Amino acid sequence: MIELRNVSLKYGDREILNNISLTIADNSIKAILGPSGVGKSTILKLMLGLIKPNSGQVIIDGTDITKLKETELYPIRRKMGMVFQGNALFDSMTIDQNLGFFLRENLNLSEKEIESRVTEQIQFAGLEGYEDKLPESLSGGMRKRVAIGRALIFRPHMILFDEPTAGLDPVSSKKILTLISTLKKSNNLGAVIVTHIIDDVFNVADHVAVLYQGKMIFDDVVSKLHESTHPFILSILSDKILEL
Amino acid sequence: MNLAPATAFRKDINLRLKDFFLTMQEFFLFSLRAFLTIPKIKRYWRDFLDQATICGTDSIPIVLVSAISIGSLLAIEVGNLLEDFGAKTMLGRSTSISVIRELGPLLMGLMLSARFGARNGAELGAMQISEQIDALRAFGTDPVAKLVMPRLIAALVMFLPLTALSDYAGLHSAAYMAEHYHRLDPGMFWNAVYPRLAPKDFVVGFVKAPVFAIIITLVSSFNGFSARGGTAGVGRSTIKGIVVSSGLVLVANFYVSKIVLENM
Repeated sequence: MIELRNVSLKYGDREILNNISLTIADNSIKAILGPSGVGKSTILKLMLGLIKPNSGQVIIDGTDITKLKETELYPIRRKMGMVFQGNALFDSMTIDQNLGFFLRENLNLSEKEIESRVTEQIQFAGLEGYEDKLPESLSGGMRKRVAIGRALIFRPHMILFDEPTAGLDPVSSKKILTLISTLKKSNNLGAVIVTHIIDDVFNVADHVAVLYQGKMIFDDVVSKLHESTHPFILSILSDKILEL
Repeated sequence: MNLAPATAFRKDINLRLKDFFLTMQEFFLFSLRAFLTIPKIKRYWRDFLDQATICGTDSIPIVLVSAISIGSLLAIEVGNLLEDFGAKTMLGRSTSISVIRELGPLLMGLMLSARFGARNGAELGAMQISEQIDALRAFGTDPVAKLVMPRLIAALVMFLPLTALSDYAGLHSAAYMAEHYHRLDPGMFWNAVYPRLAPKDFVVGFVKAPVFAIIITLVSSFNGFSARGGTAGVGRSTIKGIVVSSGLVLVANFYVSKIVLENM
């Protein structure tokens, strides 16, 4: 379980997050919705301990990670897989090297086991025949599926998605959202999805938290979003896509 | 009297000083981490070999070109000067000391600051901008151990032979110019070189190689890791890395010479 308790964060004089509290239960999909630049991706980086808050706690399976050293964070980070907005694939490595890289780096597995896990992810992402290609030769949707495969290869409990459908065409977006739903049903995985596209929330999420001007203005099941009277939520429900 | 501009100026200076000391603190911790991860070299030996090729073998042409051109010019100019005093036979002595103590290592340092430092800054900066460094951390790999430490070890290992090569090329080009431009007998040139070179001349020159390796690798890598703001940010961090490391190489060159020559 991931829990943020009264988290605040500032960059210089600029306040990014103001007293945010959030809980993500295992095996549930929670979307964090908000306009661009509001600090949604920052929340994911806080969950991984890539940045530390000015105040508050980030608790992963009962451990407050804000107090941990970088080396102590590594095993905790491996409980979560991260899919970055720009995918963050290593551009000098082929697809199967990208998928197997962190297994070779961090786990003491045999080469046979690594190859087996890589093949499993290649099949799951539907990328058979592309194993020896470089990321630059794949389409945006394919690169996203490789990034998801790389996040899954550690067999994490939870996957963090940063804008999973941003920049993708409608067909690729649908494929990615279907993939995320499948992960919950077949792999029993939880997920946190940061997005500014409200359709993504209705398509895959169980719960949604809405972030606006550094504060959490809504945190409940998706169906209750329509009951909110907050002007910002009313505007996004009518316009669907956040343009703020 | 309006004091607002003075107050704003003081505030600006304070902010810049604060920023400078924070950057220095981050650089110190970054450098410390690079050295503390050296025991992991066995795991990253392939990265070390790649970097050794990039900063060593691939840098041979630029080191040779700079050493040959400066060795030749030095022989011509110093030879002309010595001729006025009828001391042309001292050409070997003066050029060998200049090349081995100062110009060989300094030129090698400046060339590698531009070549190896620029590559580090641009490559690591692009990785930072595209979140590849964050991805390494997110999946439990220490980016300093994976990306910086192999570069540091490769530079420490390869800068010494490159300095030797730079000295060799500089001296031989000077000898060639002495013979063909100043019509000085090669025996006279080399007789003025070998018997007079003292161990401290080599110590001064070769101590600089690891010092330059540390400066160039850590400064350029730190600037790459600090890149922000898209492709323009990568450009800024690369330029900053080259300018700062070149400046520090020049300063370190002076102090290493001074300290070694005063103590040997």
